[in-house]
Amino acid sequence: MAAAATTTDILTPLMARIAAGEREALRQLYQATSAKLFGVCLRILSDREESEDVLQDVYVTIWRRADRFDGARASVMTWVSTIARNRAIDRLRARGPMAYAEQVDDMEIADGQDSAETLLSAADDRNRLHGCMSELDDRTQKVIRTAFFEGVTYEALAKSMDAPLGTVKSWIRRGLAKLKGCLQS
Amino acid sequence: MSEAPDLSEDEALAAEHALGVLNARDRAAAELRMASEPAFAADVEAWRARLAPMLESVAAVPAPEGVWQRIERMLPANDNGAIMNKLRFWRNSAVGGFALAAASLAGVMVQVNQPPVVVERQVPVSPQGQLLSASVTTGEGSRIQPLFTAAYDPDRKALIVTSLLPEGSERDKVHELWLIAGQDNPKSLGLVESGKAKVIALPTELMAKMAEGATLAVSLEAPGGSKNPNGPTGPVIGAGKLSKL
Repeated sequence: MAAAATTTDILTPLMARIAAGEREALRQLYQATSAKLFGVCLRILSDREESEDVLQDVYVTIWRRADRFDGARASVMTWVSTIARNRAIDRLRARGPMAYAEQVDDMEIADGQDSAETLLSAADDRNRLHGCMSELDDRTQKVIRTAFFEGVTYEALAKSMDAPLGTVKSWIRRGLAKLKGCLQS
Repeated sequence: MSEAPDLSEDEALAAEHALGVLNARDRAAAELRMASEPAFAADVEAWRARLAPMLESVAAVPAPEGVWQRIERMLPANDNGAIMNKLRFWRNSAVGGFALAAASLAGVMVQVNQPPVVVERQVPVSPQGQLLSASVTTGEGSRIQPLFTAAYDPDRKALIVTSLLPEGSERDKVHELWLIAGQDNPKSLGLVESGKAKVIALPTELMAKMAEGATLAVSLEAPGGSKNPNGPTGPVIGAGKLSKL
């Protein structure tokens, strides 16, 4: 994990400089993270042009909110990836409810092919989450991943899975509780 | 997997919000709660961090050419909002773990013989006065370490200074803050305790000198401050220019 630790060290001090309004620091963060974040936007939106728009928006958001970054709570990569994911999902939702209501069956998750170029510092965390996810039953894994990557609401999930809303809700809540228990053990 | 206990209703909601399954109405309600309830906000953040590793399996794709240039054009000149936000950040980071404490002290030891920064150009006096901020730093290039942060609020007629050094780190020395504007002698703004924030009320005469480009500097002095009314007696350990917030 030596490389991972180095990555964290490089990115964390950038956040203080960005919060202080230093453009050069934002440029450095962009260089280090934009490929990953563009990948996240593309994964969610499947559209290069929209992903490009969202990517711009993400870095302007980082610029404005860098003062809220708390290194004790999350790594820089986790923080910026979460912003990218949330912004991309906002964009997805803006397309309208039907745009993502039908994608449930089509939610393969990209895996592998990351290690070399991935700058994410928490390969450990990924493996743990992956391990814990794989302990959930297939259906629960599937709905959690779909919700995470497609921003699909309970209502849309219930409709596309042809299951009662309360049932879908309890699958997800049970799944999340198990996930937490597993991650803590 | 062993049976996990159910999540509390609040935490379940936080987890659902982080996951993104709430509908627009519930999502808005959750956002509102995050803004008003720190514990709930912390739960959501914790869940975001728990789920974020899923993003790590997404392959990186180089961003198209030209995106950075467009981002740069979109950056607002005055970015980070209210002064207190900024101060909160610096305070948090001082406590929260950039290893600032040790590093800054090391910087202090190395930098004690640095001459003060001299501002050569005449500083214009702004008529209305505007929000200004400065980060008083030590070291150069990649080894810059912030020591203090300061924000000037013309409405409050005050400079709000926050020390980023650990409390009690000055031992038998004190930190004195100076304003260096134009060709004038440095003006003392008083002593600033390590690890503390301080609101320094400014007389009209000093307010007139609070302008973009003026320098704030910090010197290390014997208790009681510099004996010389026209400048530091001890070494200047850091400096930074005021700029528009």
